[in-house]
Amino acid sequence: MHSTIRPNAWVALKLPAGMHRVLQVAPNTTISLGKYGSFPANLIIGRPYHLTFEIQDRQPGEAPRLRVVSPSELHAEALADEASPGCATPTGPGSSEAAVISAVTTGEEFSLVETESGNVVARSNAEQLLDETARQTLTQDEIEALKRGDGTNAGKDVIEKLLLSHTALDQKTSFSLAKYKLLKTKKYIRRFQVLPIDVPNFANWQLEERDASKVLDMRAEMIGLVGCWANVHYGGEEVFLEDPQATTEEGEEKLPAIQEEQLRGRWLVVDDTCGALVAAMAERMGVLHPEESDSDSEEGQGGEEEGTKAMTTGEDAEDSDTEMAEAQDPTPSEPTGDATPADAANPKPRKPRASDFAIPFSQTNTITVIHSASQPNLSFLNYWGFDITSPCHLPHPLLNHLLNLTWLQLLKPELDTSYFTPPLVADAETLAGWKPSRRGNFHRKRRRWARIRHIVDSTRAGNFSGLVCASTMDPISILKHTLPLLAGGAPVAIYSPTIEPLAQLADCFSVSRRTAWTSGSVAEVINKSAEELERWPGTDDFPLNPSLLLGTSIQTSRARRWQVLPGRTHPLMTERGGAEGYVFTAWRAKPAEGRVEAKGKFKRRKTEAGAVTVGAEAAAGVVKAETGDAAVEPEA
Amino acid sequence: MQPPIAPQATMALTTRQEQKISPFLEPGLQTKASSLAILQLSRDNLLPVYLQATAGEHDGYAEGVVVNTRYGSFPHSTMIGVPWGSQIRASKVDTGSRGRKRKRPTDDDPDAAATPQTANETEAPAESGTQAEDAGNATAGVKQAVAASSGFIHILPPTPEIWTMSLPHRTQVVYTPDYSYILHRIRARPGSVVIEAGAGSGSFSHAAVRAVYNGYPSSTTTTGKRKGKVFSYEYHEQRFHKMQKEIVEHGLEGLVHLTHRDVYNDGFLVDGGRSPGADAIFLDLPAPWEALPKLSRRKPESIPGDEEWVSPLNFKKSVYICTFSPCIEQVTRTVSALRRLGWVDIDMVEIANRKLHTVRDRVGLHLPVDRGVNNTPKDVDEAITRLAEIEDRFREHARLAKGAADEDVTDLAPPPGGQNSSKKAMNDVNGKEGYHSWVDGRLVTRGEPEIKTHTSYLVFAILPREWTEEDEAAALARYPVGSEQLHPVVGSLDKAARKKERRELLQKQGNRKARRKERAEKLLGEP
Ligand SMILES: C[S@@+](CC[C@H](N)C(=O)[O-])C[C@H]1O[C@@H](n2cnc3c(N)ncnc32)[C@H](O)[C@@H]1O
Repeated sequence: MHSTIRPNAWVALKLPAGMHRVLQVAPNTTISLGKYGSFPANLIIGRPYHLTFEIQDRQPGEAPRLRVVSPSELHAEALADEASPGCATPTGPGSSEAAVISAVTTGEEFSLVETESGNVVARSNAEQLLDETARQTLTQDEIEALKRGDGTNAGKDVIEKLLLSHTALDQKTSFSLAKYKLLKTKKYIRRFQVLPIDVPNFANWQLEERDASKVLDMRAEMIGLVGCWANVHYGGEEVFLEDPQATTEEGEEKLPAIQEEQLRGRWLVVDDTCGALVAAMAERMGVLHPEESDSDSEEGQGGEEEGTKAMTTGEDAEDSDTEMAEAQDPTPSEPTGDATPADAANPKPRKPRASDFAIPFSQTNTITVIHSASQPNLSFLNYWGFDITSPCHLPHPLLNHLLNLTWLQLLKPELDTSYFTPPLVADAETLAGWKPSRRGNFHRKRRRWARIRHIVDSTRAGNFSGLVCASTMDPISILKHTLPLLAGGAPVAIYSPTIEPLAQLADCFSVSRRTAWTSGSVAEVINKSAEELERWPGTDDFPLNPSLLLGTSIQTSRARRWQVLPGRTHPLMTERGGAEGYVFTAWRAKPAEGRVEAKGKFKRRKTEAGAVTVGAEAAAGVVKAETGDAAVEPEA
Repeated sequence: MQPPIAPQATMALTTRQEQKISPFLEPGLQTKASSLAILQLSRDNLLPVYLQATAGEHDGYAEGVVVNTRYGSFPHSTMIGVPWGSQIRASKVDTGSRGRKRKRPTDDDPDAAATPQTANETEAPAESGTQAEDAGNATAGVKQAVAASSGFIHILPPTPEIWTMSLPHRTQVVYTPDYSYILHRIRARPGSVVIEAGAGSGSFSHAAVRAVYNGYPSSTTTTGKRKGKVFSYEYHEQRFHKMQKEIVEHGLEGLVHLTHRDVYNDGFLVDGGRSPGADAIFLDLPAPWEALPKLSRRKPESIPGDEEWVSPLNFKKSVYICTFSPCIEQVTRTVSALRRLGWVDIDMVEIANRKLHTVRDRVGLHLPVDRGVNNTPKDVDEAITRLAEIEDRFREHARLAKGAADEDVTDLAPPPGGQNSSKKAMNDVNGKEGYHSWVDGRLVTRGEPEIKTHTSYLVFAILPREWTEEDEAAALARYPVGSEQLHPVVGSLDKAARKKERRELLQKQGNRKARRKERAEKLLGEP
């Protein structure tokens, strides 16, 4: 992530009410926050994230201004409460609000806040408070006290009463003043904070404020669990296949062969969250955010820049391109910038020109997305400047690290036209005779063919480091086809908003299924080779080969949020409901060939006299649980 | 078995890959000697083992080093050079010189130590091919293992999750449900620098280093992207040494920098005053507020003296923190300290994690008598049918008995089977009348018998970067204001203005660009 807000970055503006507004910060535009006011985007570009800004009233003839609100100002109230002895009773005598009353002057506003929820139940300014009804209900003394800005509790109570009468709350509910807290504020708190759009912030916003169904209700807890259990992490220095330097006359035979031993640190993904899951994985693998070089701090940080400009060619190229994009007054809503030759996607070989069959993908640290439509839906990646549908693309780390293919290409490539049709060939002369557009087309088709070939062939080579899913498809069907592609010991982590699909999946690996399978009592299994069993097509009794996964488990997590305030610390009263979210985890096993029996000899040693031998029947070879556990359980 | 190096990779890399890359970060496809592996004995019984290729008899075993478990004996030679995840059969080990009188590991079964003579069944030596290849020089003196007829384990590559379940506990540790959430929230990513105190048993450290890893620091190339690193602190001497040993054994040198230190008093600077430049902090200490002042950007008032202040934080970025405390009083003090020290976005949560098991709820009179089956009516219909049957039989009986003494009434309704059925019968019911214990019954989920209801409170906060008047002036000069009128307003536009703007854009820029703009706008959504 960048240390400061870059031009055209997507950011979330956190508003006083806790809501977020997500937008792209285009230079030289005005950002409007509705009733909170507006300000020039250039006032936040180049500034750090997480500062709280306050929109200042614009003086005639002066430039608009933002004020940075200091943390001590932000925490003033809590710190004051802490300092006061009677902090447990917010409205009690001696509390800091007493001081509030002394300032019934211009432009101030009072709000009554429900202490439990923090909701503002009433808001008004002093002038409005003193309307006709107020004058009728208050004694002259009280009004005087109010006008004087009297710092007594009497004055405060009056204001509270008035505020409540304004909302007619006092008539409807029996209320106690202690439930509410009086706050003095500026007319509107025109404050906001700029948060970076990274995966945690984006996912929260999508879940809480936008459309949770788009991300399958996937909460932060689940994103964390899935990422860890699937062991998703940086998968090694990028490695590229050598450019075969294929001429336009050369076809299939020139495609660089897959070198299986180079394929490392690759994760397989099925993502029906519009790319939120892929983004989370990419962030964990270091390929979501464009590389941040030290020269990032261009904004006059003086000496620290020197000596940091030495980067690999790739980064260098990327950096200068970004600079370019900044310089050319960008259009606000163009996340991917303008056309650069597609070859820019391949930063490493900055040779004169890569041949059509040069494979732009790294062999390591990659994400392979399998999708059910002909194009993957990864639209959320646009927030990070990556548009998978764009034919020409500014440099982005995902370009070399994100591979995608359809289920058809994976499982029946012979039915996929773009995989199956041999590449176009033409000799140099013919080519020279063509119009540039036709030539361009020709090269594009060849490049596309080479890429699809490479993706399909390398995916089918298997040995993936892990499988991650958040899909609306049946997980059993997904595993049927992806388990053979996983390396031994590779983790599987499947998210589901509901537990039922995962329960059915876990049931395929139940102890009784595994026992039956390994004991050799399942007729269909006998005499099958290990290879055939790995690609088990599934039967009603055994939808999946139950010996291919170890340690299957289902879990759920929930973060319970608390309010921590002096004397008022408690869990929040309400939180988002809806789908709980569950994660299925396991590791890919490589079963031994042939019949395997659990040992299951267990003795209770040195217990009381007459120690019982538990599981005697196991010793006789009757119980054949895969793990000895079943045999240990004493049978009552 | 080590993947050959890509042609593009440098020689320097080659050497490192051969000996240094941690099995936690790049386990490769197969197990190797002198590396950590985790043996899964049973579901939750995991045993970390450093695989050793021995050149001869070891500790009395002709097969070299042997792991003895209640599931049998497993010579290391059978576990080296096999694919990760492999199911490993137990071996009949040759005790050789070991002698039968020696004390065996407690969990072991004496009978497993079969004598060589009995190991003459025709079963092939387990994985002998790969073993010979990888153990190399070892084969000469080591007896090839012979598979036993029963008993097996699985061998797994180490990951932070597996390590957390199997590590030797020296303190309370942070488990996966907490650390997965924490690392997500404190933005520990490839290239991040994380401060962690105290190291304790190293559970969190392993997860943190995986999160920040983006290559080992290299002595030759000092340029390029910043390498992720974990700076860890521990004041308990034995724990410090144990952990330091683990870092080396796990190939994490250069990625985890452990310091023996009381952080309350001596702070977080390393190598005699250098700043780690941390992006994220995790404090699992009894009194986080004692350590917080040391994690300031500027010298806090509470710290006396006037030496120059070196902040351990990354001065260019917002820094994320999480503190982990079991008691609410600790939270109160921590939050108060955070507020005073200028941290913002303070947020406290507690993680509740539950594991769920799936079971087949098998209830029904028609079901065969089997373990776990409840032979009672599965529904009201079955109950009625059953009752009616009994009534029928009773009437029939009464008719036959005709006034005779009712000495055998108790025989009328024999209790539905269960207690008196033999175990033999119980194990043979599968397949009978189409019954299979794995498909019959309703699939249900249930929680564990005991659940963790509280681990600790997690306090999160963010410390924005310092922003001085000069910084602001420089930014203002670089991004001057004043030309806004020429550009559209972003944020909350009303519908009409938005439409108008789009129309203008269409005319100006032609259709392709506008389509792309529209797509981007869809992301933005209607305010
Ligand atoms: C609960 S343990 C940490 C466990 C660790 N997070 C893990 O996951 O394994 C707390 C550790 O902090 C150490 N510790 C306590 N106070 C310390 C201090 N002032 N400086 C350094 N370490 C300290 C203790 O010795 C103990 O090992």
